[in-house]
Amino acid sequence: MSGPRIDMIGNARRALQDPALQQQLRRAMPSFRRQRDAAVAEVADWEYLRSTAAAIKDHALAHLDRYLTELEMQVAVRGGVVHWAADAADARRIIVDLARRRGIRRVVKSKSMTTEEIHLNPALEREGIVVVETDLGEYIVQLAGETPSHIVAPVVHKSVEAVADLFAAKLHAPRHERPEELAGVARQTLRAEFLAADMGVSGVNFAVAETGTIVVVENEGNARLTTSRPRIHVAVMGLEKVVPRLADLGVMLSLLARSSTGQRASVYVSLLSGPRRPGEPDGPDELHLVILDNGRTRLLGDPDLRAALRCIRCGACLNICPVFERAGGHAYGAVYSGPIGAVITPVYEGLDRAGELPFASTLCGACAEVCPVKIDLPRMLAELRGRAVRAGHATNLDRLFARAWTLLMERPARLWIAGKIGRTLQRVAVRGRRIDRLPYPLSGWTAHRVAPPLATQSFREWWRMDRGGGR
Amino acid sequence: MREVALFVTCLVDQLYPQVGQAAVRVLERAGCGVFFPEAQTCCGQAVFNDGFQDDARRLAAGLIGALDGAEAVVAPSGSCVAMVREWYPRLLRDDPVLGPRAAALARRTYELSEFLVRVLGLSDVGARFPAAVAYHASCHGLRGLGLREEPVRLLAAVRDLRLVPLPGAEECCGFGGLFSVKFADLSGAMLAAKLDAIEASGADVVTATDVSCLMHIGGGLARRGSRVRAMHLAELLVQG
Amino acid sequence: MSRDVILGRIRAAREALAWAAPQGAEPGTAAPASDALPALPPAQRFPDIVGLFVQRARQVGMLVDIVASPAEAARRVASLCGERGMRRAAAWATPDLAALGDVLAAQGIEVLAPGSSVEQVATADLGVTGAEWGIAETATLVLPSGPQQPRLASLLPPVHVAVLAADRIVPDLHALFARVGFLPSALTLITGPSRSADIGLTPVLGAHGPMEVSVVLIRS
Repeated sequence: MSGPRIDMIGNARRALQDPALQQQLRRAMPSFRRQRDAAVAEVADWEYLRSTAAAIKDHALAHLDRYLTELEMQVAVRGGVVHWAADAADARRIIVDLARRRGIRRVVKSKSMTTEEIHLNPALEREGIVVVETDLGEYIVQLAGETPSHIVAPVVHKSVEAVADLFAAKLHAPRHERPEELAGVARQTLRAEFLAADMGVSGVNFAVAETGTIVVVENEGNARLTTSRPRIHVAVMGLEKVVPRLADLGVMLSLLARSSTGQRASVYVSLLSGPRRPGEPDGPDELHLVILDNGRTRLLGDPDLRAALRCIRCGACLNICPVFERAGGHAYGAVYSGPIGAVITPVYEGLDRAGELPFASTLCGACAEVCPVKIDLPRMLAELRGRAVRAGHATNLDRLFARAWTLLMERPARLWIAGKIGRTLQRVAVRGRRIDRLPYPLSGWTAHRVAPPLATQSFREWWRMDRGGGR
Repeated sequence: MREVALFVTCLVDQLYPQVGQAAVRVLERAGCGVFFPEAQTCCGQAVFNDGFQDDARRLAAGLIGALDGAEAVVAPSGSCVAMVREWYPRLLRDDPVLGPRAAALARRTYELSEFLVRVLGLSDVGARFPAAVAYHASCHGLRGLGLREEPVRLLAAVRDLRLVPLPGAEECCGFGGLFSVKFADLSGAMLAAKLDAIEASGADVVTATDVSCLMHIGGGLARRGSRVRAMHLAELLVQG
Repeated sequence: MSRDVILGRIRAAREALAWAAPQGAEPGTAAPASDALPALPPAQRFPDIVGLFVQRARQVGMLVDIVASPAEAARRVASLCGERGMRRAAAWATPDLAALGDVLAAQGIEVLAPGSSVEQVATADLGVTGAEWGIAETATLVLPSGPQQPRLASLLPPVHVAVLAADRIVPDLHALFARVGFLPSALTLITGPSRSADIGLTPVLGAHGPMEVSVVLIRS
């Protein structure tokens, strides 16, 4: 919808030329995969869990109006306030207004892709409010003035040395080299922020309709601090996060922890049902839940892509994707990267801007195999490619190729004649039964491989000669 | 005798006819009568993967027409079979004439190793090939058609063939049709990892069920000056 | 109003889908609206759930002390404080932990009651809590919040000791959610010490919360 066209091809090329990034990715991604595989392997019936989760999500999506209004009522019964945000601007306005009315000066945030999506931080900062990201990775991203490059591991693109340099430069502290020292510095700095903040903003992993419970999953404890310490807690959820029953969490949490970080359980799962109650010594005085659409209902009404709303943001499709492993998350030019990003970004931000993303895949299918909620990502990518072409986003070269290929292949006689002509023409290029260099646009092929020549006798010619044709 | 229509695929027809010939012989040795419907050309995957669904529909219509009469269709390519099986019915869903024919074709089209093992119940086709062989699991056969065991069972039964483990055998080689040209750098980087693994495996030959992957892998090996050769599964099964 | 806009969009989406819906759901696409909620998996059966809890707790980096009585649990916590020179503890004030608080106080340890300021709790060497349930499969402690059960006692101090009765251990998450009736303002599931691997993929303990979690398991 906004911003220039995402140049995934150029972004990927630049990523491949960044040795530090390549080193990080090639170290991290295989290790994420191993952890996930080990955690999944010990579950007796993983497929049954996946199917159940997909069915729970599909059911919730089919009755989304009912479950969201039930959630709204149950949150209200427990003293929380529900806000509905049709788009990002709406969500920003709701949160900024609230902060203004309550005289908020300092906000702590726990990791939330949804608040990245609505670009909340700059909106609060324009009000003179100090916003501090408290997830260690997000904190580093914020200090560096960057964006997260992975939905679960936001600074997977940064080495220890890069973090050490950053901390030394930004925190005016003596330079530390070891991860535990650096984490200690962050812990100390952020502890002070928690004590000073008057508003905490978190994401939502799941929201339980029947109990009005907001579920926040994490490993560090910063989300617990964010949702417990400041006097106001604002939780921002995509509307697809609702599940009908508390007991659905048994399935969802098992899948999420194992798929995302290869843990049996995440270190902290907070089930928050309303603000602090009378007599309780801690917890927020106010709890606000912002339910965000921002393009999600477009997916909901899309028969081919709707299942993408099952996504629980585990990141398994990123971790297994050979393209992500080399291009990194930033190459996708959007908040959500990897296969799921290549599916939802074109819907959220438009094909004008993100039309290239669905093409950045070999459709190898590895993502669909690991997805804990069985989203058929390669099928959706192929579908979006069709839409991009129908919307006129194909290059002239692409159109020329498709026209020529179809004309050629539509009649066997044309293929036969073209083969004959090609075999004559290729003589200038073939050396030792291979072609070492092809002209543009096929030069991309011969940059990395030699090309095979057309065979001196095609199969169909052999069949005629050897078998005298058939049927 | 079982009558089988060979869907040879456009790449095999024009670039690797020896793969098609090998497939014919393997099927005949397995007791099938093979015929080649000459009206066939390309399944349309090349344009479909680039988003040209209308063009793909036109080519699908041609292939459906060419293969209409066949009782069973066998192709030496997992990705072309996946195109027919997964995509034809979807692409032609709203076509009252071609839709049902696409669905019917999808049900009776098989990848070669799938047909040999699952339909004919074979694992030993009587081949002998004295070499160390690494098997690359082509994505569309593996994940699109669910062929994890079938090619390996056939290879394991080849006499004197030593199957060497290939780390990351199930990782994509980076071909992906036009992806390999448009995203040439990404494709090249994925290929490099695959080639490194192949060369480190100690194999003399790398094999797979798709000539597209092998064109990519073999082209990369040749560019490197590697001694490892790329051969289609059918070419190994016809040896000896 | 955005509420009506969104609910309207949801209903419109459903209608659009009903028109477009092909016969039967394709694999990978969302199924057509079904009124039946899917059945949930039954709880798993493990031969020895207490043993499993202990084994897996150690795998996630929790220390487990098995004791025979609440009195022994109190002595164990007190001796931990003694060994480590801990001077100040933030503790729950639930009846089952009252004796424990007395033992600590008798040893000269300052026990911060619920309601102590957050700045004070942040200076505690130790947080002492109970646990409503334990989950064997994942080695998870389940802590409700309440007037006598501050959330921050298990979060701010560098060391967290949780006292858990062995008969409160359930096999898995499914069993837990089948049992949870009353939901407090915060029900917190804790599995191991606070951790992060954000810096250089190196696991670091105590990212924000405790770097050490001990379970005193009462198996009477």
